[in-house]
Amino acid sequence: MATVLHDERKSPRGGPDRRAGFARSGMAKARRREAVVAYAFLSPTLAFFAIFLILPLVFAFVLAFSNWGGFDLTQIEFVGLDNFAEILNPASSFVAPILVNTLLFAFGSVVLTFVASIVLANAINRLRFQGLWRTLYFLPIVTTVTAVGNIWKYLYEPSGGLINGLLNALGMPSVRFLADPDTALPSVVVVQAWASLGVAILILTAGLKNIPETYYEAAALDGAGVLRTFWNITLPLLRPALLFVLITQVIAGLQSFALIIVMTGGGPGNATNVAGFEMYQQAFNYGLWGIASAMALVLFLIIFAITLLQLWLFRQRGEETS
Amino acid sequence: MRPRRTPWFSYLLVVAGAIAMTIPFLDMVMTSFKGPGEAGELPYKFLPEKFHFGNYLAAMEQLNMGLLFRNSIIMTAVAVTSVLVTSSMAGYALAKLRFPGRPVVFRFVLATMMFPPFLFLIPDFLILTNWPLVGGNDFLGRGGEGGLTTSVAALFIPFVVSGFGIFLMRQFIVTIPDEMIEAARIDGAREFTIWRHIILPQTTPVLITLGLLTFVGTWNEYVWSLLISTVNPDLMTLPVGIQLLQSYLDPNQTLPLVMAGLVISIAPVLTIFLLMQKYYIRGVMISGLK
Repeated sequence: MATVLHDERKSPRGGPDRRAGFARSGMAKARRREAVVAYAFLSPTLAFFAIFLILPLVFAFVLAFSNWGGFDLTQIEFVGLDNFAEILNPASSFVAPILVNTLLFAFGSVVLTFVASIVLANAINRLRFQGLWRTLYFLPIVTTVTAVGNIWKYLYEPSGGLINGLLNALGMPSVRFLADPDTALPSVVVVQAWASLGVAILILTAGLKNIPETYYEAAALDGAGVLRTFWNITLPLLRPALLFVLITQVIAGLQSFALIIVMTGGGPGNATNVAGFEMYQQAFNYGLWGIASAMALVLFLIIFAITLLQLWLFRQRGEETS
Repeated sequence: MRPRRTPWFSYLLVVAGAIAMTIPFLDMVMTSFKGPGEAGELPYKFLPEKFHFGNYLAAMEQLNMGLLFRNSIIMTAVAVTSVLVTSSMAGYALAKLRFPGRPVVFRFVLATMMFPPFLFLIPDFLILTNWPLVGGNDFLGRGGEGGLTTSVAALFIPFVVSGFGIFLMRQFIVTIPDEMIEAARIDGAREFTIWRHIILPQTTPVLITLGLLTFVGTWNEYVWSLLISTVNPDLMTLPVGIQLLQSYLDPNQTLPLVMAGLVISIAPVLTIFLLMQKYYIRGVMISGLK
């Protein structure tokens, strides 16, 4: 993002009016008018951010350290780190299974998306009708989570669902994918991966297009095989695109819970409960605003830390190979 | 040159993947036509015995889809219009106007994109319910029966300004030549006129891209609408309503009606996506490669 800031200092319309020293007072006036207009253009945006960005962030932060019944702001009670002590306690269900589930959900689906999208993007890149393939893989991206969740709930259904229908046709017994605590989380992970494949493929195919054909020709002349070419040319040159896919998908996976609301409601038991959903329930079903806000803050810090870690890891590897 | 043989293995992979992507959607469409009790029958059948087109009318009626459509349309229309107007105005100021504090404001806009939406769920909800002087609240925001959640505004308020939108517009407005704007100023055009008659026409493709991203995002929004709908069921949107109203459906026909409702609710987005894919995909790429 740093590159974006470069042209900041350049005056937006440098030039002739600068030289007209005799008109200084007129210029000052014009400049003041320009500033007034600029802030007028920005005012709806700044007002919005003040009320719906800064105020909420402060409020969320204060609530995370408070105990509050939810009605009268004067009855907010500062409790220090009590909320964190309660939710991060080893005995609390927030750490295990909920945070563990959150990580499994995010990283499980990212690994699946990642591997599948690398393979598929490379394959698509060799074919004709690339636009058509991309569109097909993109369909779930523009589809509401209610549809994705309900479609898959039915696909997984033991009585009358497609997947069990296939299993039965192959002579295997039905599996209660979403009702069995052992299979529920992996089943939801597959859906999350399925639904986010399109964006990953889109970014990676664009990245592949940017790799100059000459590199492959040189590798072919040197007698490098398919796997070697992939490992030594495609992967390193695709690194920015890969990094982007990885980071955005991990962030999305850690915070998303709409799919879980639709498919399992966190169950059976807590088998598919994740941090975002637990926060939602603590706040809006139980009215424990302080606890819920503390959960939100913990999740935010986890996302932040994992993002930094991923950036750092990729930079390390980049220095080794270059 | 690399040998150009037909890449059979790649075809195999991509086609297998494409089947896995489309079968669930086809299963939804097929199920939406199934008759009473047919969807739960064993063994599984892909095609319905007979196409029950009446399911679609029944779904419209039993899922109260008129109301759901109304709320979804209002929410999406306001969010898209407002994002386009505020993003292009703020983007113009940040790209082409000189004013003290510009670098700070620009960095602030970039920083707003760092905060994930779930952080705002609780405080935004509390701010709306305690909004002064609406929904029976007094001027301190107390007492009423839900503040702003009594109004359809609750649905779209968190989505009317987008940090990403401002960033996107600013990046494109920067590339408009200064001479064009300068010439208009010399002709005595006011800044609002310049914005309306130079900036907007010059950035139409980006506006379409931003509009599409916002349209799809808002139409499909789930968690916030769910929250607002649980305190005020009159504000159910399509994604939320189809989920929450399932239990009111004829138990013999629940699945086909839900699927029919889903087909109806995703049709507008899917149509617009297929027609304007180029713009949408460009938006995803830009948001990816900023």
